Amino acid sequence: MSSQVLTQQDYRFSAFMLGLRAALPLTLAIIPWGLLAGSFALESGLTGLEGQAMSIFVFAGAVQLVVLGMIGSKAGLGAILIITLLITSRHFLYGMSMRGHMQQLPLRWRLILGFLLTDELFALTGTKPPEQFNRWHALGGGLSLYLGWNMATAAGIIAGQQIPNMDALGLEFAVAATFIALVVPGIQKISTLCAVITALLTSVTCELYQIEAGLLIASVLGMLAGVLSARLFSEPAAPHNEGQST
Amino acid sequence: MIWLTIILMTLVVFISRYLFLEPRLPLRLGPRTTQFLSYAAPAILTAIAAPIVFLPEGELALQVSNPYLISAILAIGLAYLTRHVLFTTVVSMGVFFVLHSWGAHTVGPQLF
Repeated sequence: MSSQVLTQQDYRFSAFMLGLRAALPLTLAIIPWGLLAGSFALESGLTGLEGQAMSIFVFAGAVQLVVLGMIGSKAGLGAILIITLLITSRHFLYGMSMRGHMQQLPLRWRLILGFLLTDELFALTGTKPPEQFNRWHALGGGLSLYLGWNMATAAGIIAGQQIPNMDALGLEFAVAATFIALVVPGIQKISTLCAVITALLTSVTCELYQIEAGLLIASVLGMLAGVLSARLFSEPAAPHNEGQST
Repeated sequence: MIWLTIILMTLVVFISRYLFLEPRLPLRLGPRTTQFLSYAAPAILTAIAAPIVFLPEGELALQVSNPYLISAILAIGLAYLTRHVLFTTVVSMGVFFVLHSWGAHTVGPQLF
C-alpha cells in the first residue's frame, strides 16, 4: 500500500522533472527577452519593483514589452488595455486547443496551469494529444519558464541601472529565433506551410502599415489558410484532439 | 497608475488564458474547429516573429545588411536540419549578436 503511494509520488516527481528538462531550452531562450523586459521597464519610468511585479503577475512577454513602450510614450489606460487584449487574444485559441487536455482537471490545477499557459508552454504541451497530457509535466515546464522569466527580469532591472539603452542590443531577436526553432520542425504538411507563409506575409504587411490588430489579423488569416489549403490538397484531417468535446 | 495598469493587464491576460479551460463554459469543439485550432501555434508564433525579422526598425529591411534577416534565415536552416530548439536558438543568436554589434551604428530597433 505504502509502496504504491511512493511509486505514484515518484512518478509525479519524475514527470515534473521531465517537464522542467523539456522546458529548459525554451527557458534559456526567453532570458534575453526577460532581460529586455526588466531594463525596458526602468527606461519607461517604472520602478524596479513595478517592473518585477509586471513579470510576476502578467507573465506575458509580448504584452509586457509592447505595454512598456506605451507607458513610456504616455499612452492612456484604455489604449493599453485594448492592445493587451489584442496581443493576448491568441491565448483564447491556446485555451480552446488545451480544453480537451485540461478541462477535467481540478480547479486549482486549471487555475495554475492556465496562469502558466504561455506561447512556450503551449508549444510544449499543446502539440501532443490530450491522452498524453500530464499535469505534473506541464507544471514542471510552466514553472521553469516562470522562474526563468522572473530571474531574467530581475537581472534586466539590475543591469538596466548600469547599462543604458539595452534595447539597442537587439535582444528581441531572441524572440524570433525561439519561435523559428519551434515552428520550423513542426511544418510537416503543405497546409501548415501555407498557414505559416500567410501569417508571415500578413503580419509583415500589417506592421508596414502600422495596423494595431495586425497580430490577430495575421494569426486568423494564417489559420484559415491552413484549413483551406488542407481541403485544397485533400490532406487527411487528423487534428490531434478530434472528437474532444464537452 | 502603474499598479492599476499592472492589475488590469493581469486580469485581461489571465482571463484570456483561463476562459476556455473552464468546463462550465458551454462550448463544443467540432472537428472543423479543432482543425482550425491546430494551426494556431505555427500561425501565431510566425506572426509575432516575422515583423521582428523583416522590419527591425519599423521599415521593411530586405537587405543583406539586416542582421535579423540573415540570422533568421540561418535559424530556419538550422531548425530544419537539426530540429533542435536550443542548438538553433543559441547558434543563431550568437551569429546575430556578432553581426548586430558590427552594424551597431544604427538606431535602436523598435519592438514589434
